[in-house]
Amino acid sequence: MYETVPQLAEVALQQGGPALDAQGAAAIAVGLGAIATGYAQRGIGSAAVGAVAEDDDMFVPALIFTALPETLIIIAFVTIFIAGS
Amino acid sequence: MSAPAYETSNYEYVNARVRSRRASLFDDDDYRKLVRMGTGEIARYMEETEYEAEMNRLASRYSGVDLIEYALNQNLAKHFEDLLRWSEGRLYDYVARYLRKFDAWNVKTALRGVYTDASTSDVEDDFIRAGEFSGASLDELVEADSVEEVVEALEETIFGDPLRAAMDDYEDTGLLVPLENAVDRTFYETLIEGLPANPDRPTELYVQFLRAEIDFRNVRNALRLARTATDMDPAEYFIEGGRLFDRDELRGLVADEAQLVEHIRESTYGDDLADALRVLEDAETLIGFEHALEVALLEYAGTLSNRYPLSVTPVLSYVLAKEREVENVRAIARGREADLSPEEIQEELVVR
Repeated sequence: MYETVPQLAEVALQQGGPALDAQGAAAIAVGLGAIATGYAQRGIGSAAVGAVAEDDDMFVPALIFTALPETLIIIAFVTIFIAGS
Repeated sequence: MSAPAYETSNYEYVNARVRSRRASLFDDDDYRKLVRMGTGEIARYMEETEYEAEMNRLASRYSGVDLIEYALNQNLAKHFEDLLRWSEGRLYDYVARYLRKFDAWNVKTALRGVYTDASTSDVEDDFIRAGEFSGASLDELVEADSVEEVVEALEETIFGDPLRAAMDDYEDTGLLVPLENAVDRTFYETLIEGLPANPDRPTELYVQFLRAEIDFRNVRNALRLARTATDMDPAEYFIEGGRLFDRDELRGLVADEAQLVEHIRESTYGDDLADALRVLEDAETLIGFEHALEVALLEYAGTLSNRYPLSVTPVLSYVLAKEREVENVRAIARGREADLSPEEIQEELVVR
């Protein structure tokens, strides 16, 4: 595959322009935000399930705390509108 | 148990459950009520708490203090089995190592049972089925008729070699002390053994906690020896692995109590043990000091678990607290049975 690299580079250079436009970059940003949310919820979620298992009254607080990291992805979502327009 | 990927421990889950259970332990108020109750009332009170299931199961077979005691033991075993059931990966390993404490307890119970010719059912009732030994191997211990047979039954376990080594001493003296000592020492020494040489954070905390426990135990033994002024060799009772003293240091310090106290005061535990040492200076007996030492260990465990929530320390701290509770309730029940006054019992309790 290496022998095709020079041709590929030539094509890329001739066509010009960034490999990733604003929309694409925004998509990556949102994706990373989603991964971070998932990672945060992994820990909180397992602790929340543990707490609910011990005491049913903990269900509502547990749900709230599990949902808190969603703010990360919601804020990341804004990026699309800022970068896309 | 199936072997999960060794690295993944579910600290979050286990700690959430453990903290919740810790919160439902008896507190000051409960103890204040309990010390004023008779054994029947204590049993009824316990029926309305955590111990409901055990109380109902055992109520038809036992009554009075025995009922309370067996309910406590079974409840303890249930909770600690739960800990093992929840934990995964490395956390499981740490918890399992620590719960071998109850294997040590069961071995000692079996030894004392045959030594005092107790009936098999008595011995069996006193077992706490929370450790690593299977039901079958515990039954084997119960069936043994002599100290030799108990030692033989333990051949395959971690207690095998040390017990065999201690048999000579036992045969010379006719006392159980060398054997029990061997069991305790094996337990503490296998706790730390075989951990990775350059520990990561959770492992380091585990080791730190155990060091503290070993140190506190050494302090207690050293002071007991210093107070009784016997000519026993303190090194015999020394448990390896602490960081407070080494074997030779201890031998020198036991001879001179003031120096020993000074050594503890200047160590890293100086602050934690300040209260305990004050009690020691005021009181003539060691009981107060030993209680203060227990409180200090509980507090140290509590501090570690608050400071490092995602580690094994909250679990260990819960294990300690639960054990204290069981011992406290037992002390209350026994005390009431012996007609001690509430104030006297209160003094025997270790409440944090």
